[in-house]
Amino acid sequence: MESSKRRTRYVLKRLVQAIPIILAIVVLNFFLLQLAEGDAVDVLAGEAGSATPEYMAELRVKFGLDQPLIVQLGVYLKNVVSLDLGYSFRHDMPVSQLVLDRFIPTLLLMTSTIMLAVGFGIVLGLVAASGLNTWRDTAISIFALVTYATPLFWVGLMLIVVFSLKLGWFPTSGMENLAMFYEGWDRVIDIAHHLVLPTITLSLFYLALYTRLMRASMLEQAGQDYVTTARAKGLTERRIVFVHVLRNAILPVVTMAGVQVGALIGGSVIVESVFAWPGLGMLAFEALFARDLNLLLGIFLLSAVLVVAINLIVDIIYSTLDPRIEMG
Amino acid sequence: MNCRTLFMGAIYAVGLTVSPLTATAQNLVYLVQPEPPSLASFLSTSGPIGLVAPKIYDGLFDYDSDLQIVPSLAESYDVSEDGKTVTFNLRQGVTWHDGEAFTSADVAFTVMDVLKQVHPRGPNSFREVNSIDTPDDYTAVFNLENPAPYMLRALSAYESPMVPKHLLEGQDLRSSDLAANPVGTGPFTFTEWKKGQYIRLDKNENYWKPGLPLIERIVGRFVPDASTRTAAMENGEVMYGAYGAIPNIDAVRLREMDGFSVTTDGYAMINPMALIEFNTTKPPFDNPAMRRAVSLVIDRQFMIDNIWFGYGKPATSALSSNFDKVGLYKSGLPNYPATGDLAAAIKELDDAGIMPDADGVRASITLDLIPYGEDWRRAGEYMKQAMKPLGIEVELRYEDVPTWLNRIYAEYDFDMNVNYFYQLPDPVLGVHRHYGTDQIRQGTHFVNASQYSNPALDALLAAGAQEPDAAKRTEIYGEIQTILATDMPVANLFEMQFLTVFNDKLQNAETSAMGAYGPFENATITE
Repeated sequence: MESSKRRTRYVLKRLVQAIPIILAIVVLNFFLLQLAEGDAVDVLAGEAGSATPEYMAELRVKFGLDQPLIVQLGVYLKNVVSLDLGYSFRHDMPVSQLVLDRFIPTLLLMTSTIMLAVGFGIVLGLVAASGLNTWRDTAISIFALVTYATPLFWVGLMLIVVFSLKLGWFPTSGMENLAMFYEGWDRVIDIAHHLVLPTITLSLFYLALYTRLMRASMLEQAGQDYVTTARAKGLTERRIVFVHVLRNAILPVVTMAGVQVGALIGGSVIVESVFAWPGLGMLAFEALFARDLNLLLGIFLLSAVLVVAINLIVDIIYSTLDPRIEMG
Repeated sequence: MNCRTLFMGAIYAVGLTVSPLTATAQNLVYLVQPEPPSLASFLSTSGPIGLVAPKIYDGLFDYDSDLQIVPSLAESYDVSEDGKTVTFNLRQGVTWHDGEAFTSADVAFTVMDVLKQVHPRGPNSFREVNSIDTPDDYTAVFNLENPAPYMLRALSAYESPMVPKHLLEGQDLRSSDLAANPVGTGPFTFTEWKKGQYIRLDKNENYWKPGLPLIERIVGRFVPDASTRTAAMENGEVMYGAYGAIPNIDAVRLREMDGFSVTTDGYAMINPMALIEFNTTKPPFDNPAMRRAVSLVIDRQFMIDNIWFGYGKPATSALSSNFDKVGLYKSGLPNYPATGDLAAAIKELDDAGIMPDADGVRASITLDLIPYGEDWRRAGEYMKQAMKPLGIEVELRYEDVPTWLNRIYAEYDFDMNVNYFYQLPDPVLGVHRHYGTDQIRQGTHFVNASQYSNPALDALLAAGAQEPDAAKRTEIYGEIQTILATDMPVANLFEMQFLTVFNDKLQNAETSAMGAYGPFENATITE
């Protein structure tokens, strides 16, 4: 009872601490983005082919870009505090709606990638460590090195060439079959089908990382005293590895996964672009080139919140994995 | 082991249930690249909007492949003797997608209150229109200040879409709901826009052309990566891609494959021209000899063959040779060698007294490149090389779109800039904006950034715009082109040929001069 109460208090405390951090991130991002030359009006007018200076001035007034910076920031902060992320003039839509629309595909891709990468990374690391310096270890290490060193876009394109064009197993890109517009369960299967190649591509990179981390961590733990003790107790090697070592060795992997979730949002731009996956990374990328600052700030805010939340979750998982780590 | 078998099994199972991946007979999926900012074609002429909006909206006219007028919402028209009154007889029984009737009030509102006010090119296309009378629901009379023959070429669904008065009147045109939820009279109605994925249009059951459109649905797909677009085309997931959606390097490969076709048709109304804008207000390009020398030294054919895979035609004048059809193009002008003439370029500079210094350098300049893709970077690299023997040291600059626009059109902070312009179906619409003194509009994009000002030329441009007589017009534009070939404020490089790649199962997608900016009403797909 005492511990669950302590846990709740801890979570609340962390959440309160997060607020100033997130606000600071917003302010910092706001000023950083001002450093980019040109604004949304330049881009809109440029795409239009030709536009009068009056029209452009009118647009700037409409977007509030004619106001002094500090006023713009004040307005933005006020809106954020009341949970209003503002309006994207380029898309002519509220930012929150745009971001949430794209958040679901991102979440799908992120979750499947993390699960695949962490899951296989742990297994491969385990296999490599338990067969130290055998052909298995060498093969896995080489595989990890190659996937880590191969550029993501190239892996993506090669998977498309092999699995879409040559074998015809998977669609090349997109999230749904637009010739069919499936509904219900057919649609779920269709989306899963489209998800396979992007997930594999994005996981391969992280997989290599987790594999190497897991291997190193396993080896480090294997030399610890408690392993010798367990062995002296007469436990089987299998039991030592799975019950004692694995649990300890997995901690650094969890830490790494927590850190990388944030990076996954930005790092998936390439995969989203290659597979035309409608996620947040691409949205942010396009928003930057369109100088759609409201939208960018909204995306940054969301990822900041996400990173803070995931760090919290990771800390909780820690204490579950290793009760010696105290929360407080 | 079990786990892997299961996983592979799942892959096979999924693969089997969802195939085939190709489009069905009733459903055309095509490439729209990049994703458009909105669907307000009455506000913006942005390329991707043009790929979608003309399927939803109609114009007064369409144009056939010989650029001749085809009636659309206007069944016929009549120009008065003095050219100052144009009467359009409108089609009866046409309804907007929401069921309201289309009338002459919509035409008057569209032209006077929308296109003339907020369209990027509308104020130019309709500048002579003083008022529009609507004696009855199906007659619209345009009262002009001066004759405006070019206006009749700017009435397509892409250039001047007819928009519903009842949905726009009294609203802020720039933030109306119509931008995201278009309501037109065209062959397809707007259904859904999934940001980052696609725009879906469904067949307009009440379309005024009986029996059309022939397909049930068209879906514009956004695929950011060029290689993936090609793969999607190869795999049959998309059937049509225009305006270089499939890059030339892949298009020439698909051209050799069974089941795909590549065409350069469908761009005659657009007339894209690659060019160099010179900053004529500061050294070294304030000297016309420098500008002529650059035009002389560049091997246009080399660029076309090696960078654009043979698609393009060396420019020979300020006007595209496509204007030959309407008698405005002049051939045989100086300073436009197709394959470059280094000796002539050197002589040009020597004669002007621009001599090399001890290191053989006559001028050091920066060349800005339009940030619309890798081809332009290659072009810049070529030009840097080509100008070196002439003693011009070139530094290349490639920035992102807003920075570049700001530099060229607002700050005028450049020496020479590689760019491309749409010349459109009449020089008044697409070419005058380059050269007129009144087109030096700081802060406005894609106008006279060279800041070239020549009163003699201004007078000719004004005369050319108003001249109803074809022979006299030919003469005026001949003089204009002669002046421009000598003064060279802009050196045209080549007439671009955009490529359209399509799956052979798709037929008759393009039936007008508008090409990809057309309605797709006759498109069919055979299995």
